Amino acid sequence: MSVIAPKFRLGYFLKSLTDNIFWIIVLLTLVGIPAIMIVLFFIDLPVLDGTLLTPFLAFTMMFHPELAVPVVKSLLYSDFFRIAAFPGFGFAALLAAGTIFAERKLLAKLQLRVGPFYCGKFEGILQLMADGLKLISKEIIIPAKADKPIFWTAPILFVATAAAFVSLIPVAPGWVVADLDVGLLAVFAIIGFFPIITILSAWSANSKFPFIGGIRALHQMVSFEIPLILSLLGVVILTGTLNLSEIVESQSNYWFIVFLPIGAIVFFISVLAELERIPFDLPEAESEIVAGWLTEFSGMIYGLVQLGSYLKLYAFAALFVVLFLGGWQGPMIVPPFPAEIITHGIEAGPITVQVPGLPITTQEMLNGTLWFTLKTVAVIFFILIPRGVFPRIRIDMLLSIGWNKLIALAFINIFIALGLLYAGVLGPGGLL
Amino acid sequence: MVDAAFLALSVITIGSAIAALELRSMIYGSMALMGTLGGIAGFFLLLDSPFIAMFQIAVYVGSIAVLILFTVMLVKRELIFKKIEDPRRKFAGIGLMLILMMGLGSIIIDSGLRTIQTNEPAVDFRDIGEDFLTYYWPALILMALILAGAVTGALVLARREDVEDEQRAN
Repeated sequence: MSVIAPKFRLGYFLKSLTDNIFWIIVLLTLVGIPAIMIVLFFIDLPVLDGTLLTPFLAFTMMFHPELAVPVVKSLLYSDFFRIAAFPGFGFAALLAAGTIFAERKLLAKLQLRVGPFYCGKFEGILQLMADGLKLISKEIIIPAKADKPIFWTAPILFVATAAAFVSLIPVAPGWVVADLDVGLLAVFAIIGFFPIITILSAWSANSKFPFIGGIRALHQMVSFEIPLILSLLGVVILTGTLNLSEIVESQSNYWFIVFLPIGAIVFFISVLAELERIPFDLPEAESEIVAGWLTEFSGMIYGLVQLGSYLKLYAFAALFVVLFLGGWQGPMIVPPFPAEIITHGIEAGPITVQVPGLPITTQEMLNGTLWFTLKTVAVIFFILIPRGVFPRIRIDMLLSIGWNKLIALAFINIFIALGLLYAGVLGPGGLL
Repeated sequence: MVDAAFLALSVITIGSAIAALELRSMIYGSMALMGTLGGIAGFFLLLDSPFIAMFQIAVYVGSIAVLILFTVMLVKRELIFKKIEDPRRKFAGIGLMLILMMGLGSIIIDSGLRTIQTNEPAVDFRDIGEDFLTYYWPALILMALILAGAVTGALVLARREDVEDEQRAN
């Protein structure tokens, strides 16, 4: 008799198995298939190579998987995929999750620790999944005197705002969720929501530490928004557009960090302050005010706020890449898709398989995504490193940096950009 | 589609404006004010002027509303909740609003608004900028001077050397 299940009997086990199978079949026939039929009635199925995708064609694809390539392709170019997966939320969340793990390992190495080590076979690679499971399964505790509606909605709004910010970032030529004519202004508008959400959630917890943290966050974000916006005006002056894709395309020969290094530095420091990262992590100062405005959050509410803040980190790093490091521009290193596969099909011994709909994506898109991801990861790395190096600074020093030094530097940057424009070096009709 | 969006935006804007006036809680009131200002940004989006809509959000929702929230949170509660209930004031306010709306409405209807073609392409924000720098430059410079004067005055008023010196000494 085993120790784990002392009352185990094979008959009961088989009975439970057949019971489960019975109920699955009953529910599938009574609920599942009618539900599928009702849903299919309302879905616009894609037209592939002139034929409508019917359920019969879908069943055929189960036996000829190569026929499914056009379906995958049409899914890839649909709006839903853009919003949910590739240039939008999924891609950003993946990079954000990688950032969390890399940050923990990196800080541990900098401080001569081991870091996450035991989850997963290799270097604690599954630590993030374990943390996520822990956060999901924990109870959400709401303080008794909290303002419940705001307390519940603030983390969701935080993630939603961060996702809206992510949706404006162009990842590869044509691969952007919202290609606005006023993209940079939309970025400024969205950044303005973060202090409101922070202060509301801090106030709604009705507790001392969150409120102090929230007031600090408000001070910090509002005062660093001004140098952040001013430092980007140089780029706008040189390109003459607010569209982020056009800003990237105008950097095909040179990156703006070459001509506007002061603007890049001011933007980077402002980003550190907007993200509440060390040395500007006063709103979350864990040695002074517990966890700042996050103190009363628990369970998945805390997880949502963390997800939102790392999405925000990705978005700011991507914005830095788009504005100063040339976005997706880079030498073409992805090999072209082999032409004989398109014309002759894939030959495997005696069998030749004709695959319609290839190539799925263009070479430019793959190359652009590769360069964009590499640059973004590098910028994220530079955002992470100060956490292992610098101490936290005082709030009056922070405010004096923001108001006295960074704004002055941002104006110097604007005058450099204007000088370059009027000297005819850069800008519309310039030399370069 | 546009009609439905227009109706929804109208309900949001007017409803949250009434809520901003009538709600007892100042925090919820300022949030309702944010809803009103955001609804106006939505109207600008419907009118094909995303430039002004984004500035509406960035300036009014992102800055003015934050300012109001900040003030509400830092003022003592007793000061906020001291109310002067007077029905005559309410009716006078409603009457004043009706007179204002009628006056503004008659002015707008008498203006050239009714002859505007709705199917014309939207005005590019670059044209607006060009107009500001060429034809309307005196107005632009006047606005810039007024704003600079306001900022300088605010800095002068906010500068309290006694407090600063005391903190430095400690």
